[in-house]
Amino acid sequence: MSVIEVENLTKVFKIPQKDPGLGGAIKGLFAPRFQSKTAVDRINFRLDRGEIVGYIGVNGAGKSTTIKMLTGVLMPTGGSIRVLGRDPHRQRIDNAREIGVVFGQRTQLWWDLALIESLNLIARMYDVPPARYKQMLDEFSQTLDLGSLLKVPVRNMSLGQKMRSELAAALIHEPKVVYLDEPTIGLDLIVKERIRDFIKAECGSKGMTVMLTTHDLGDIEQLCRRVIIIDEGRVIYDGPIETIKKKFGKFREITFETTGLVPSLSLPPGCELLSTGDRKVTLRFDRIQTTASQVASAVMKQIEVRDFSLSEPDLANIVKQIYNGALDNGGVEPEAADARPAP
Amino acid sequence: MTRYLSLYWLFLTQRLKVLMEYRANFIIGALSTIALQASSILAIWVVMRQVPDLNGWTYDEILLVYGLITLAKSINHMFADNLWTLGRQYIRSGGFDRFLVRPIDPLFHLLADRFCQDGVGNFLVGVALVVKASVALGIQWTLLKALMLVAAVVSGGGIFIALNLLTCVTSFWIVDSVPVTRLVFDNHLFAQYPLTIYPKAINILLTWIVPYGLASFYPASYLLDRSLGNLAWAAPVAAALLLFLGYRFWQFGLKHYGSTGT
Repeated sequence: MSVIEVENLTKVFKIPQKDPGLGGAIKGLFAPRFQSKTAVDRINFRLDRGEIVGYIGVNGAGKSTTIKMLTGVLMPTGGSIRVLGRDPHRQRIDNAREIGVVFGQRTQLWWDLALIESLNLIARMYDVPPARYKQMLDEFSQTLDLGSLLKVPVRNMSLGQKMRSELAAALIHEPKVVYLDEPTIGLDLIVKERIRDFIKAECGSKGMTVMLTTHDLGDIEQLCRRVIIIDEGRVIYDGPIETIKKKFGKFREITFETTGLVPSLSLPPGCELLSTGDRKVTLRFDRIQTTASQVASAVMKQIEVRDFSLSEPDLANIVKQIYNGALDNGGVEPEAADARPAP
Repeated sequence: MTRYLSLYWLFLTQRLKVLMEYRANFIIGALSTIALQASSILAIWVVMRQVPDLNGWTYDEILLVYGLITLAKSINHMFADNLWTLGRQYIRSGGFDRFLVRPIDPLFHLLADRFCQDGVGNFLVGVALVVKASVALGIQWTLLKALMLVAAVVSGGGIFIALNLLTCVTSFWIVDSVPVTRLVFDNHLFAQYPLTIYPKAINILLTWIVPYGLASFYPASYLLDRSLGNLAWAAPVAAALLLFLGYRFWQFGLKHYGSTGT
């Protein structure tokens, strides 16, 4: 049996329509009109025990709405969810015992309380046996380096310290299912690494089923073997991360800032022009066909470069390309894809 | 039940630790409520120096009424002050979701989240007023009267909490419920005085609709062996009924929240 089973899950929000001005406000009071917005549209997936799955999509794609339904906060408009055989909304409190949740953007700790006091409260809420609680504290003192933080009130913590504390709070009762919503948002690289290592070790060793939403493809690459990509409320990809990496991971983008205006450039094979701006040019190249240094040296021979930067293709771009059939026809043809209208 | 009681105790002790950390805040909070009360009492004293009695009620008798409503209000103030902030602090920020992913009743969580120390000042003022009035009036305490005193304070607290709950639940729809709550809550000011000084409509309002009078005027009448005093035994019934309605309305609001998430 799967740990999480989602079938035809749908959420439609009714948004009240307001006409401008006082008249509109009064009209809205007596004869409200609603517009329906489908945030999640008939999605299906199953997660097995011990799986760590990346749930990704651009802002407004329906990620948070899905997570809120899975955690029992929101009631689905249609379809069904089973988490460990339960309906998370109808059996909210029973479901809550089995899950751990981190909402990266807001805290579940008490602002004014020292971390240890917040953890005491949470452990009691989940009826963690005192002996086990002590063990977990010792464990987290090691793995999350919490030892020195226990006496510190959350309000005095740095962002990274807060996230380590949030993870401890979400996992102290050793939940079977874990939802992590943007767990590395706003953190610097070194802290991100630590958080990822911790999640991998903690959730992996205990066989937790983890659903991770993030904007950060680095999180996904290091933690998940499987990704579900959602856009406009629909699942547009559900499969191994390898496929995504193979299709999209081979591209890099390189942006040059120039001292003068950009003439037309001749580029090495496997490299193409993405955009030119005022004293700025962005190229994309295939790492298999060429290298960053080849591209850079070719460009520098032709123009005076003040600065340049390298970046990985971003999620929004990948989503757009999947839409345009990048995964169907076996090859990515960015130029052709860009020319096609969005569906 | 014992689980919730022990949880509440833990919430309370953690909260007190924070208060001890902000000792100045605690003292200023308590002092400011006492000062606020003192100014209202001073106003009563000034008026009562000019007139011997208010519709048959002397200064000390009015203090008893005032003391009883203050005690009932302090129960609400200490244990349920967080209701006021449901919309502004929890729903608007999305922080309310935190309550819904935990294995305890979200209403309990909301109330336990913040014991309000300022209410302690109110409680002390209430106790002082009732004691002062009792001594000055030479009230003959019997078991029934003592029982009435406890019943009045506890059910009065229940009436305050229930009415605040009923109005605060509107924040599930309108987010900021404070104006709605205030509209009802401020009626308790009438119940600081004997209801007989008001027109009939206000009497009915304060007895049958927003029954703050059951927490002050009626029990005071009972303690003073005045007419209408026996109606005070309705206070526990009214409190239980309103709390029941409040909790049902809360559940209805929660259901709405579950479908809209705003």
